[in-house]
Amino acid sequence: MPEINILSDEELVVLIRTNEKERFTDIVERYEDKLLRYATYLIHDENKAMDVVQDAFIKAYINLNGFDVKKKFSSWIYRIVHNEAMNSVKKYHKETPLLQNADFQSEENIEQDFTRKEIIEKAQFCLDQMPVLYSEPIALYYLDEKSYEEISDILRIPMGTVATRVSRAKILMKEICQKYKKI
Amino acid sequence: MSKIQKDLTNTVMSRIKREHITMKPRWYFILGSLAMVIGLVGLSMLSIFFVNVTVFSLRAHGPMGAIRYQQLLSSFPWWAPGLAIIGLGFGIWMLKKYEFSYKKNFLLVILGFVAAIIVSGVLIDYLGINTFLSRQGHMRRFYQQVEVQNTTFPRGQGQGRLNR
Repeated sequence: MPEINILSDEELVVLIRTNEKERFTDIVERYEDKLLRYATYLIHDENKAMDVVQDAFIKAYINLNGFDVKKKFSSWIYRIVHNEAMNSVKKYHKETPLLQNADFQSEENIEQDFTRKEIIEKAQFCLDQMPVLYSEPIALYYLDEKSYEEISDILRIPMGTVATRVSRAKILMKEICQKYKKI
Repeated sequence: MSKIQKDLTNTVMSRIKREHITMKPRWYFILGSLAMVIGLVGLSMLSIFFVNVTVFSLRAHGPMGAIRYQQLLSSFPWWAPGLAIIGLGFGIWMLKKYEFSYKKNFLLVILGFVAAIIVSGVLIDYLGINTFLSRQGHMRRFYQQVEVQNTTFPRGQGQGRLNR
């Protein structure tokens, strides 16, 4: 059996599809943290985000044979979470409360952790003030460190549009954060 | 691994086992893609056909334009362009389902698709293919129904002769 950790996501998917279905656990472990964070800043509710990610993993498992292994698995699974999150937002159809204490796991020391949390909180606040049209690409770009191409694949918009939205989002973010500072 | 992570992994995996969730087979996706291609080709052909029928009917607008125009409006088979537009609409909807649609300028893709359908429909009429079809087997009756209220001026082989 190959060493799981050195396998790429796509190679792992091939393995799961052929005969090792139990290995889907590794996929879940690789992505749950990132996807939970992504879903949380889309719907601003950790419990609902949890449900969304859970459903997204189940959907991914059901449709795993439809995934083209020549493409990036991360874009594919992010896309599923995006769709699930959007469905959830439409379903509940109301403004959800701001996250007061998002649990971002870290092994850094307390001071660094505090500064980081403060920055994340500020960034989260500014992001929440922005329309999702701009907050989503900028969050994917800076928080999830996705390339323009990956964002284009996740949001199903042209790369040029991604660049435009990220650039506009930066301007918006600056304006919002400056206002937030004054408050 | 955090508690939340462990919970999520366990929940997902136990749901898969408990609810007997299985992966959809590969052929399901192949069949889906095939159906999409066949659907798009079929809709395109349907649209081309109805654009062609529209152009075929429009040729009734011969000399004495003003009088003929009134006649054309009352006797024109409006269902033909209607069906062509419906076909185009579904075609565009299907195009949007394809993965390449967001990577290209989709407006250009739509315009190209619509232009290709219209040009093909006009070209078929210009080359006299429908005049030929109107004399053949099953299509004969169909074209006769379209022609019956209009006096067409056929193109292609046998141009100038009324084919009723």
